[in-house]
Amino acid sequence: MSTGSHPNRSGTDTFGLDWLSVALVLGGVLLLYYLVPMASLFLSVPAGDIVARLSNPAVVDSATTSLLSASISTVVATLFGLPLAYWLARTDGAVTKVVLAAVVLPLVLPPTVGGIVLLTVFGPGSPLGDAASAAGISLTRSLAGVVLAQTFVASPFVVVTAKAAFEGVDQTLEYASRSLGKSRLRTVRRVTLPLAGPGILAGVTLTFARAIGEFGATMMVSYYPRTMPVQIWVAFIELGLDNAYPVAILLVLIAAAALLILNTVASNPWE
Amino acid sequence: MTLELSGVRTAYAQFDFGPVGLTVADEVLAVLGPSGSGKTTLLSLIAGITSPDSGSIRIDGRELVGLPLEDRHVGMVFQEGALFPHMTARENIEYAATASDRVDELATLLELTDVLDRRPPTLSGGERQRVALARTLATDPDALLLDEPLSSLDAPIRTRLRDELHSLFNSIDIPVLYVTHDQRTATALGDRIAIVRDGDLKQVGSPSTVLTRPASRFVARFVGNENLFEGTVIDRTADGATVRVGDVQFQSHASGIDASTVTVCIHPSRVEVEAPSVSDGGRAVNTVTGTVTRWLNEGSEYRIEIESNAGSITLAASVSPPTFDRLALENGTEVTASIPRQSVHLIPERS
Repeated sequence: MSTGSHPNRSGTDTFGLDWLSVALVLGGVLLLYYLVPMASLFLSVPAGDIVARLSNPAVVDSATTSLLSASISTVVATLFGLPLAYWLARTDGAVTKVVLAAVVLPLVLPPTVGGIVLLTVFGPGSPLGDAASAAGISLTRSLAGVVLAQTFVASPFVVVTAKAAFEGVDQTLEYASRSLGKSRLRTVRRVTLPLAGPGILAGVTLTFARAIGEFGATMMVSYYPRTMPVQIWVAFIELGLDNAYPVAILLVLIAAAALLILNTVASNPWE
Repeated sequence: MTLELSGVRTAYAQFDFGPVGLTVADEVLAVLGPSGSGKTTLLSLIAGITSPDSGSIRIDGRELVGLPLEDRHVGMVFQEGALFPHMTARENIEYAATASDRVDELATLLELTDVLDRRPPTLSGGERQRVALARTLATDPDALLLDEPLSSLDAPIRTRLRDELHSLFNSIDIPVLYVTHDQRTATALGDRIAIVRDGDLKQVGSPSTVLTRPASRFVARFVGNENLFEGTVIDRTADGATVRVGDVQFQSHASGIDASTVTVCIHPSRVEVEAPSVSDGGRAVNTVTGTVTRWLNEGSEYRIEIESNAGSITLAASVSPPTFDRLALENGTEVTASIPRQSVHLIPERS
């Protein structure tokens, strides 16, 4: 039985609109909202001007600090994160849930709060902070401080993504490897890690991208040496919006590179 | 090598496994049972994927319980092969091989030389299982466990690989446990068959024993023994018993039957179907005269049902196609079915 007001088989109703088109129009608005400001950023400053300002010592210093600290943070997060991810992927129970919640906590915590939390442990006046300064290492207002802040905020990405990647490796393959006489460690190295590789790389990329963009916790823990996000803030406050553009563009390019990696060699966890 | 299980028991939330005692020498034990019966649990316990709550598992006296998988020297072929997808067939076998010349030796034996450089996703189901088998054999295991390796294959390939496995198993002198839910595979490959149900071994015996002399009604049904009739023991002699089912009398070799009510069990393949005999006085022993009420072409044989003239018995029989044609069988055809005395099996169990 068919009446005029019912949608036909192709899903088109009497007005000639189908739901997929409506979805595209509504989604398109949001899509433009993402892309137009990006384009606008690149168009707002002449290209020559950007290159000139990029050679500014403050900009170079911040880029160096950011690349170095984000690299260290990513290595630290991966080194400690992969074993945790593997453990989370291969255990099941109440304890696993609690540990996973702890891992996700820095993701949902406002970064500035994360910074405060870190200061209570590493800051001046805290036992650990004082012990470190006595040993000649400053855990705040130092590269170490930047790394501490970035690792806190960014490491959950590698743990959560690698956990999913490990879970994607059929446990039967690990049993098979071990029944062939290979130890657990050798099994992880030769079977699990290679198969989880693209997923782990995605986690590492996301961690690096998050670390290099970290602002809130870094501001609290280590205002100096300035990272790129802090440099943007300083340039914006002291010299105006125009002066914040070059570093912003640098960060956009790094984000684009991360996206490229996610969509090529790594396996995009959100695909 | 001898694999010995004693008192192996493990409890799950859903079901209890064991206690199971079992001895497997250099032979193929086909482990047959419905899904969820504990077949795979049995293999997991021996391989070391799961640990028993109690009991002992030994190979030539060497205790396996407590050892991790990698130290057990027990080879396992998993259901879908569990090949490492990032390695070629050759790399898969090399990964396991104790000596490098084993790879080519096994590849030749299992006809894999042409596919050695391919990755598992590009292999056919049969090739994958052969690579999995080669990989396991490359470790020279003390025992071989196979978990339904043929179940995902198409019928022609399954039959071919089954025949290949049969000759392969003959050439290796280690205990082999072959898990399957398919009775034909079990009888074809097993030197002995173990019937598993609800985590327990219900019967262990030669294929013909399990087929024609099932220990229980469950085993009988599971191996396709549909002819189960409740009967009354009317006579006992030193070398057998006579049982009445309706108007039919069956003589059996079975001795030591105490119960007065038993289940008569006759495997359909042991029923001989002939044109109706005129000399049948109606009291003949081990014969059923009646009409065909159903028939089914199962390919290599026909399965027919014969309802006795008095209507008290419906007997299933397997009939070869030549016999089926010669007797011109169809619904309503009158036939006489006779069963040799030794094929009348009695189970001391009521329905």
